[in-house]
Amino acid sequence: MSDVQSKRVLIIEDSKELVMSLITFLRPHGFVCTAAYDAVFGVSMAHKGEADLIILDLGLPAGGGFFVLENIKNSPATCTVPVIVLTAKPEKSFEDRAIKMGVAAYLHKPFEPEVLLEHIKKVLAT
Amino acid sequence: MDFKKNTVDVKDESKLLLHELNENPYKKFNVAFTLMSIIPFLVFFYLLVSKLFSIDILAGDIGLIMLVTLVISLLGYYIGYRVIKKVFDKIIDYAAHAKYRDKLKSEFVAFASHELKTPLSVMKINLTNLGLGILGEVNAAQRNIIGTCQDMIGRMDKLISDMLDLYKIEAGMVKLNVERCDLKRILERQVREFVPLFMKKNINLDEDIAKDEFMVSADRDKIEEVINNLLSNAAKFTPDNGIVKLRLFPNDEFLRFEVRDSGPGISKDRLLKIFDKFETSGIKRESTGLGLAISRDIVELHKGKIWAESEEGNGTTFTVLLRKDLNS
Repeated sequence: MSDVQSKRVLIIEDSKELVMSLITFLRPHGFVCTAAYDAVFGVSMAHKGEADLIILDLGLPAGGGFFVLENIKNSPATCTVPVIVLTAKPEKSFEDRAIKMGVAAYLHKPFEPEVLLEHIKKVLAT
Repeated sequence: MDFKKNTVDVKDESKLLLHELNENPYKKFNVAFTLMSIIPFLVFFYLLVSKLFSIDILAGDIGLIMLVTLVISLLGYYIGYRVIKKVFDKIIDYAAHAKYRDKLKSEFVAFASHELKTPLSVMKINLTNLGLGILGEVNAAQRNIIGTCQDMIGRMDKLISDMLDLYKIEAGMVKLNVERCDLKRILERQVREFVPLFMKKNINLDEDIAKDEFMVSADRDKIEEVINNLLSNAAKFTPDNGIVKLRLFPNDEFLRFEVRDSGPGISKDRLLKIFDKFETSGIKRESTGLGLAISRDIVELHKGKIWAESEEGNGTTFTVLLRKDLNS
């Protein structure tokens, strides 16, 4: 746990309940979580440089998850921040597009929290 | 997501359809019928100009007959125009409604995915948080309840996914990603996934698969889903220490894949409905009752065949026929 201790996770997700649940789940593992509830705010938070990892929903208001992903991946300041996508969108084309854009992991809702944790640890360890 | 807000209007669809035609058919009708309706006048004018008869003729009975003829002719064109316009209106309206329904279905799938799966995620994480004792110590009975809730969430997730899959197939929203693939490899991969479950129930897996390649032109993911459903059924219905037999062999222009379980079998009445939606054979309730309906639709999308044979007390055999790849 020590290698990921105090790592900052930015959660960009429009469901406040899901954000709160994730924070409750991740905090005991030593992560410091912040949240944005729409795409524009998510991009602005990412550009503040306060995230070591971003958890991103694709069905976001104010632009959608791909808007965030494009902004993050095309900006030199944020392009190295790993992104884990959590989505309810079942389309394979979304997954292919996201992977092509360089996301570290792509998980379908409802995901296993432990699987998400494993991915987070793996991504932050590399 | 606001489902209603995103809903397209059927009137917009009519406009779009007309736009897609690249020309306004109603204007063309008008021009065509106007041109046709002046033909009798042109004939009359020609006869006058050619001096084939004098204008005086119009004063007599012949003039009256000609006038009546012209009126009838114009009336005929008008009625023809109205009939064709009405038929065209209906066609456009029907096509617009069909497109509108497809869009609604597509919106519904996106809406249902989001609105159902996100709350499931919240429940799942919160149950995990409870189970891990993050929110306070949990006793054995409470842990048991948490486990049951987690199982139910898993079942709901499967049901939602299956319903959406079936909905998409039936709405024609599924496009097969066809590629040349080896059915034997797909089968072997799926079997590997089920080995732990078979071992847990001490089920003997009897495989009769030739060493050849079994190439098909198919959507690999979809065929995997069919095989997964059949193996899952076999695992579910075969009792402990039972046998599951798998066979894969060429059968004329098809490849034939069979899964035979040593379960309780299915009565003739139920066998007729086995591929119907929500049919669970009345035995195992953990099934969504959609797996076989999805499998049938997927196989039929591949122009293949799927059926079941069974005898009560003597197991069930599911058979799938898929067309061989012509290049193999």
